[in-house]
Amino acid sequence: MMEQFQEWAQERHSYAQEWKKQTGGKVVGYFCTYVPEEILYAADILPVRILGSHEPQDVTEPHIFGMFCPFCRDCLAQGLKGRFDYLDGIMIAQSCIHIRQAFTSWEMHLPTDFSYYLPMPNHVQSKRATPFLRGELEKFKGAVEEWTGTTITDEKLNTGIDLMNTNRRLQKQIYELRQGGNPPITGLEAMYLTISSQTTSKEDHNREMERVVSELSDRSTGRSIGTRLMLVGSENDDTEFVNMVESVGATVVIDDHCTGTRYFWNESEPNGGDPLEEIARRYVDRPACPTKDWPDRTRIPHVLKMAKEWDVAGAILIQQKFCDPHELDIPALTKAFHEAGIKTLFLEFDVTVPLGPFRVRVEAFLEMLSDEDLF
Amino acid sequence: MTTEYWRWKEYNWKNPDIDWKDAKNITVGVDVGSVSSQAVIMTDGELYAYSNMRTGSDSPESAENALDWALKDTGMTLDNILYAVGTGYGRVNVPFADRAITEIACHGRGANFMYGPTVRTILDMGGQDCKVIQVDEKGKVQEFLMNDKCAAGTGRGMEVFADLLEIPIEDIGELSFQVDEEPEPVSSTCVIFAKTEATGLLRQGWPKNDVLAAYCSAMALRVVALIERVGVEEDFAITGGIAKNAGVVKRLTGYLNLEALQPKHDTQIAGALGGALFAQTLAVKEGKVPS
Repeated sequence: MMEQFQEWAQERHSYAQEWKKQTGGKVVGYFCTYVPEEILYAADILPVRILGSHEPQDVTEPHIFGMFCPFCRDCLAQGLKGRFDYLDGIMIAQSCIHIRQAFTSWEMHLPTDFSYYLPMPNHVQSKRATPFLRGELEKFKGAVEEWTGTTITDEKLNTGIDLMNTNRRLQKQIYELRQGGNPPITGLEAMYLTISSQTTSKEDHNREMERVVSELSDRSTGRSIGTRLMLVGSENDDTEFVNMVESVGATVVIDDHCTGTRYFWNESEPNGGDPLEEIARRYVDRPACPTKDWPDRTRIPHVLKMAKEWDVAGAILIQQKFCDPHELDIPALTKAFHEAGIKTLFLEFDVTVPLGPFRVRVEAFLEMLSDEDLF
Repeated sequence: MTTEYWRWKEYNWKNPDIDWKDAKNITVGVDVGSVSSQAVIMTDGELYAYSNMRTGSDSPESAENALDWALKDTGMTLDNILYAVGTGYGRVNVPFADRAITEIACHGRGANFMYGPTVRTILDMGGQDCKVIQVDEKGKVQEFLMNDKCAAGTGRGMEVFADLLEIPIEDIGELSFQVDEEPEPVSSTCVIFAKTEATGLLRQGWPKNDVLAAYCSAMALRVVALIERVGVEEDFAITGGIAKNAGVVKRLTGYLNLEALQPKHDTQIAGALGGALFAQTLAVKEGKVPS
């Protein structure tokens, strides 16, 4: 039932190339989920997220310092290896310095027709953040209009908002089905669902979700659920890792990743006629990435609330090696989880993860959480 | 034939005071580690026999060899064993195991038996990894931390040094104290860097014992950094092969300013022992023990 999402995620390049051939439209690759896809959809552009491929590579060393995170290097490697040659443009919304380096390297070495750096404010808690971002979105919209030679009307913007909101609502609805005692989808399937939403046209993705959502409530995965786990961290599309975790007696039921819930958790709210303001507010209000979660720590109560509502027994805290923003959050998250009586396992991710050593840690973690009396 | 300085003594042992034929519950734990393999046989909650040998390239064969050697001259066969638990990195490749349990859980349980119920923090210094395990009074794991991706601070690193300096591995601890003055530690980031640095020191004319001291203290510091990430709750105990190396242990407990408990058995068998103890419980739970 969920196979289509897996296929889309795995065949993301051929999907985008086919989309381009069918529609004659433009494809823009984006580097961070703070990119307002609504505006791209309003211009009939397909936004696709640039993700890595989890293969060892040797092409980025001249361009990105070794102490930048493996994810940003893996992303750039995809460009340098020619896997995104079909892109007409690239863009980023201001994020951490690591992924910005991947973006600027790409801009320098793989020039495209269109390239845009959107200054997303980091201080999202400032009351000036939404008006500031609204102004930036106006400029961005202008740049897209100039590039494509078309005008993006409010009506088109509203269509883009509807498309994005529908996608978010459906994904959240499917994730909420995992709250019960017998989640109808595995963590791996959920991961494919969300990754594919970032690499597939939202029109196709929404249609497929609408098709499966009504059937999912009666679905059983036919496997033992085992220990309910949460994954917390930065970008994580390591399907092999999730598959391993779910093969040793656990099910991932919820996450806080930008390839997971942070991507789709909140929708734009109608405000009576200013679509750009609606979009700006949505990105300012979304579950924060640690680069933007200050001075108040909104992420920690949000993550804990999810952990409780999805009834998790333990949380795996995942950090991309050298990811400073998440590194900063790990001690506070660990403390908060422990105070809430939820045990944590910390794992450091690289482009490829050592599945054997990680398996020992995960199995020992599950043994620790288990209430089987072996003593 | 060149001398293999790294080669530690392989051996087996059996308890002369026990006649296994009187026992109802006979179980085995087999720990197939990255460097060494052990089999421990327990009879009615008592340690009956064990073996300790080098792991070969074939995990199932290593498990079988370890078991065969522990059984040697006992008259016992695999048919007499009610329950077998496999542990260690080759835990899923133990052909005769009824169940696999991680070495983390097994070291917790084994240390509880070896050191008694007061042990709360266990440092396992294994062949290719190093872990800090916190346990409750039963030996159940409460928290653990493993080193990442590097052989510095592990048994394999010590083997490399034994070969480099041409000193039998079992003598390293004692010789490392025969120095005029404690030297600065060598690099502890990586065993290869440490080896490179040590080669340089030898070229500068450092006595071998000083280089050993510098490496033992580097290894101790490396492990202290790991332990401090979890914190030490006493009583503190060390398991694994390095626990037999006083050069590391004394420096380590000195840096931590605490004493390590004295083991009642070979520290290398802790994992297999824990496996055999879990097997004792599981044999009862699964109704395999005759009443």
